[in-house]
Amino acid sequence: MAEDILKLIQENVIQGRITKDDEGFEEGMSGQPGVTELIEMALAQNINAQDIINNGLTKGMEIVGEKFEAKQYFIPDMLASAQAVGAAMDILEPHLAGTAAKAKGKIIVATVKGDLHDIGKNIVSILLRGAGYTVKDLGNDIDTSTIVEAVREEKPQFLGLSALLISTMANMADVVQALKDAGLRDKVKIIIGGAPVSEEFAKSIGADGYGADGFGAVRVVESLFNADAT
Amino acid sequence: MLIIGECINASNRTVAEAIARRDREFIEGMTKAQAEAGADFIDVNVGAGQGTQGQEIEAIEWVVKTVQAVTDKPLAIDSDVPGIIEVALRTYGGETVMINSVNAEPERLESIGPLAAKRKALLVALAMGSEGIPDTVERRLEACEKILTSLTGMGMAAEQVYFDPLVLPISVDSKQGLVTLKTIEQIKARYPAAKTIMGLSNISFGLPSRKSVNRAFLLMAAYVGLDAAILDPRDDKTMSVVRISDMLIGKDALCKGYIKDDMNALKIAE
Repeated sequence: MAEDILKLIQENVIQGRITKDDEGFEEGMSGQPGVTELIEMALAQNINAQDIINNGLTKGMEIVGEKFEAKQYFIPDMLASAQAVGAAMDILEPHLAGTAAKAKGKIIVATVKGDLHDIGKNIVSILLRGAGYTVKDLGNDIDTSTIVEAVREEKPQFLGLSALLISTMANMADVVQALKDAGLRDKVKIIIGGAPVSEEFAKSIGADGYGADGFGAVRVVESLFNADAT
Repeated sequence: MLIIGECINASNRTVAEAIARRDREFIEGMTKAQAEAGADFIDVNVGAGQGTQGQEIEAIEWVVKTVQAVTDKPLAIDSDVPGIIEVALRTYGGETVMINSVNAEPERLESIGPLAAKRKALLVALAMGSEGIPDTVERRLEACEKILTSLTGMGMAAEQVYFDPLVLPISVDSKQGLVTLKTIEQIKARYPAAKTIMGLSNISFGLPSRKSVNRAFLLMAAYVGLDAAILDPRDDKTMSVVRISDMLIGKDALCKGYIKDDMNALKIAE
């Protein structure tokens, strides 16, 4: 029984159905429970919140990631699924408090100084929320000093920096340096992304990771998070 | 519709490399192909931040001279660095020229506006200020108002201003197609003398079969008053949509342009 409902949650995450009114891939899905109703049903059956996350939501999102990489899924599909997970997490959060469940990390994201492009950063934020992280989005065109202050005050485990322009990617290096100068560099893992950025560039400025796209960013955060946990 | 050929742009890696090694044949070929395909302007963008400003200035001088040597088509100088625009304007001998671009940020208006006014250039103006691309029609129009007030104060005529309504991907927000179209409509209603221009490819970011989406959007934008498009004219299906839209909105008397093109070198793609 528990397995059935977790499987349904997974399938509805894949289809991006938040409520019973949402359309699905096949005819006749509308009217059947969506992710939020299924979560309530699962909780009513006393299924553990952590179990719902691990075997329902996260599994579903993993399959969405695979489909995106295989070009069967496109950005709107991916966003719908991530939003379904976000809605589910809102319901589950109160049930996680007081359990042994270890909350995932906090991540601050920002598009660096001089750069107004925020679509990529926003997609990464949605997917990270979908993966269970707490995300604080500072916005775009953010001063290096503002980012350093936010790291000092919020004490996130991760900092995600984005830039779309060749002329602004250098400001990512400034942020890394400023965090060193402030004595905060070893307190936070830095991941970067954006059209002109590469793995080599990430290494060259001393960042901890690089995400080629939204799911790539989640993957690198997950692997750094797991490495830290062990 | 006025067509600005977008291909000579250093944000494309192949083009950036060709410019870096001063590959004359490559730039000449790209210029001629766009001109022959029906481009009215040839856009040139040497990138920013890839080298020192001195290197960028040498690059823009070389590109402007190289393009100019093989075509009579006017140039669109694509940069937001006043120093680079200035050198490009000085190097370029043609009378008609477009500068791409300013936005409502006072700093950019005050540095690039006077260059355009002095040269009587056409000037692309992005409907945004310093806070990024607004997601509503109202805020984009506020930026246009600021821009036009500032530019006319410098002696420019509204006819010289090409407003870019800006395009955000429909894959991220399904209302964004309408935001762009309504912005074009409103700009044309408020400032009938001013022009509108937009790039074609942003709308389809994150979707499959992007070119079909771009072409359909172009057709809709033409209907609400788009005067110019920044695109790759080497795509014959896109250029066919351009000519068909001109005809369908009454810009092609007796359908002469369409029929002539269909019979001549610029074959309409079925």
